[in-house]
Amino acid sequence: MSAFAAISAVLAVGMITYVSRAGLIVFLADRPLPANITRALRYVGPAVLSALTVNLVAGGEGIDGIEVEEVAAIGVSIVVAAATRNLIAALGAGMLTLWVLLAIL
Amino acid sequence: MDDAHRTARSDALVRDALRAAVPLFIPAIPFALVLGVAITESAMPTAVAWSTNLFVFAGAAQLATVSLAATATWLTLVATAAVINLRHVMYSAALSPRFTDQPRWFRWVGPFLLIDQLFALTSVRVHLSSRDWRHFYLTAGLFYFVSWTLTVSLGLVVGSSIPTEWRLDVAPAIMFAGLVVLGLTNRPGVVAAVTGAGVCLLALDVPNNGGILVGAISGVVAGYLADVGQAHRADRRTAAP
Repeated sequence: MSAFAAISAVLAVGMITYVSRAGLIVFLADRPLPANITRALRYVGPAVLSALTVNLVAGGEGIDGIEVEEVAAIGVSIVVAAATRNLIAALGAGMLTLWVLLAIL
Repeated sequence: MDDAHRTARSDALVRDALRAAVPLFIPAIPFALVLGVAITESAMPTAVAWSTNLFVFAGAAQLATVSLAATATWLTLVATAAVINLRHVMYSAALSPRFTDQPRWFRWVGPFLLIDQLFALTSVRVHLSSRDWRHFYLTAGLFYFVSWTLTVSLGLVVGSSIPTEWRLDVAPAIMFAGLVVLGLTNRPGVVAAVTGAGVCLLALDVPNNGGILVGAISGVVAGYLADVGQAHRADRRTAAP
């Protein structure tokens, strides 16, 4: 990615982030969102973050980019996150799984 | 109220805001460090990737921006970050009544600081007066802004000295998976996450990493439908004799 593309991307993301935070406060103060929109927005987080996880594991190489070690590490971190509700524990367990598998496989 | 009294009360408010803000920052520390490492590995120039702290100040969107730079097109990268940020619209909607009687400058500046932690703290402090709420908001918000930027910078320094065999490039994906799990509070949420991941997997061959958006949109629709279905079933149950 060229420096210009990177700078313009960061500025665009910054502007969009600001608008998503400020839009209703600065421009639409006190006008509530329709209930259907609020209901759908609740599921944006889980939907986009899980899709992003899959995409990062594939690393832009399609299905061939998926490594067994990475999938196992993520599986372990999901289980640990669900059991402990602790992000640090989930990250630690996932990385540990990755290192062990990379060492023995 | 005399000045001395006002200063004392304002000091107490600052202490109260910091005492409430610090514990919520601790879980964000590993995230900030992972982001710092991801910045060193980003396909973007390091200074530009680091500047997301100043211009974006939203952990998940920052991590997506710097890690997608290697593989995604400009448009996919920006669109993905935009979708990740949609949840802020909810925060903005929930807090907007507290902003109506605030000075204009604060209505413009305040939203920039609106991260998950700040929302969690300020949305429950409804008993504070307008002025006190604003001071509390700014104190906690600036604390997060400064400590976030410093911790990410620390990750950047540490990250560049870690050997690549440690495979820290996998940490962002693990981080996002953990965030998904922690964000799940109900069944429709699980439906949204599983659909988002599944559809993205099937759509990996969509050009320009478009699978992220296809997956995200399918996940939101699935979660929404599951939510509507759940509400319907609950209604029928209460309506039954």
